[in-house]
Amino acid sequence: MTTDLFKATLLEETVLRVDELAATCTVTREWVIEHVRAGVLLERAGPDPLGWTFTSHDLIRAKHLHSLERQFDANPELAGLVVDLTEELERLRARLKREGLSLD
Amino acid sequence: MEFKDYYQTLGVAREATADEIKKAFRRLARKYHPDVSKEKDAEARMKEVNEAYAVLSDPEKRAAYDQLGRDYQAGQDFRPPPNWDAGFEYSGRDFGGGGAADFSDFFSELFGRARGAGAQRGARFDARGEDHHARILIRLEDAYEGGTRMITLRAPAVDEQGHVTMKEHNLNVRIPKGVREGQVLRLAAQGSPGIGEGKPGDLFLEIHFEPHPRFRVDGTDVYATLRVAPWEAALGAKVKASLPVGAVEVAVPEGSQSGRKLRLKGRGIPSAPPGDLYFVLEIVLPRATSAKARELYQAMARDLAFDPRSPE
Repeated sequence: MTTDLFKATLLEETVLRVDELAATCTVTREWVIEHVRAGVLLERAGPDPLGWTFTSHDLIRAKHLHSLERQFDANPELAGLVVDLTEELERLRARLKREGLSLD
Repeated sequence: MEFKDYYQTLGVAREATADEIKKAFRRLARKYHPDVSKEKDAEARMKEVNEAYAVLSDPEKRAAYDQLGRDYQAGQDFRPPPNWDAGFEYSGRDFGGGGAADFSDFFSELFGRARGAGAQRGARFDARGEDHHARILIRLEDAYEGGTRMITLRAPAVDEQGHVTMKEHNLNVRIPKGVREGQVLRLAAQGSPGIGEGKPGDLFLEIHFEPHPRFRVDGTDVYATLRVAPWEAALGAKVKASLPVGAVEVAVPEGSQSGRKLRLKGRGIPSAPPGDLYFVLEIVLPRATSAKARELYQAMARDLAFDPRSPE
C-alpha cells in the first residue's frame, strides 16, 4: 500500500496541448482539431493548433463530447448542443444551491 | 468472482443483432445518464451498461465472451479456464469513454489479461501508459488552506500467475490552495505504467466539494446565511461570524432587511483572483412566549406606525 505524498498541479498551471488532450481523451489529434474548428471546443482558438492550450473545463468538455458521440453516434454539433445544455443545467443547479434551494 | 451476464444487463437476447444491441445500449445510456437521470443508482448502472456494451459491441470480444459464457448464469461463481482466449485478438486500448479502470474485476480478468498476454506475444514495442481519470471530493476548507487528501484508486495489475485483477492503492494528494469546483489536478506519472520503454500515463483528478453544512459555493464565491436579531438589523450592529477558515466581525448596516447581501471582498476561495464571500441576512424574531416579550411586541404595534404591506 503506497502512502507517499504526491504533489498535484492544477491543469491551468501546466498547460495542456492538443496532443496531450487527444491522448488523455483517447481520441485522435484530428478529432480535437475538427471539434475546435466546429466551434464546440475551446472558445477562442487561433489558426494554429500548436498554439492552442486547454483548461480543466475544456478537458471535461472534450471527454463529455466524445462519450456522447460514441454512445449515440451524435455529430459534433449535436453533442456540442447537449454539452451546452448540460453545462447550463449545472449553472442553474449551482445557483439554486447558492440560494439555499435544492431540486430534491 | 461472479459471472456477469452482459446480455441481461442490456436486456437483449443472446442472438441479438449488433443493431439491437446498439439500440438497447442507447436506450439505457439515455435512461441512466448521470446528468439527467432521477434513478438513485444511475451512475453505477451506467458503468454496468458501458461495460456490457464495450464487450457486446466488439465482435471479437463478444465472440470470446459467448464461447466462455455458454455454461454460466449471472451471479454464478466464475474462474476463467486457462488460455480460454487463445485464438482471439483484441483491438488494443479501445475501452470506450470510461476506460478499463471503470470496469469490473470480471471484465478485467477476461479482457485485461488478454491484453497483457497479447503484448507479451507480439514483437517488443514501447507505448506510453494510459492516463487515468477520477473525481475526488474535497472539503471547502482544503480549497482555503490547501490540504492533503487520501484517495483510493482501482487500477488493473498483473499477479505472478499472469492474472489481471483490480488492485486498490492509496495516494496522498496535496491539494493546492485556491482550487475550485470543476478544476482538474494532474498527477504526473500516476496513471497506468508504460509498456516497454514507454513512460507511465498521468492521473487527472476532477475536483468537487463535499456539501458544507453552512457554506455554499458558486465558482470562487462563497455564500452563507447570517442570522440577525430584528434590533441588529434595524439599528445596525457588529456581529461575529465564522468563515470556512477563521472568523470575522461583520458590520450589519442600519436598516437592513432579510435577504440583504453583505459582501466580504476577497474572502471567497483564494484563487487568482480570489472570490468574494457573501453573508445573506436572515432576520430571526424572538418568540413572544414570555410576558415581557409580549409586552414589547404590543408596545411596537401600538407605538410604531408600521404597515408591512404598504408600498414603500
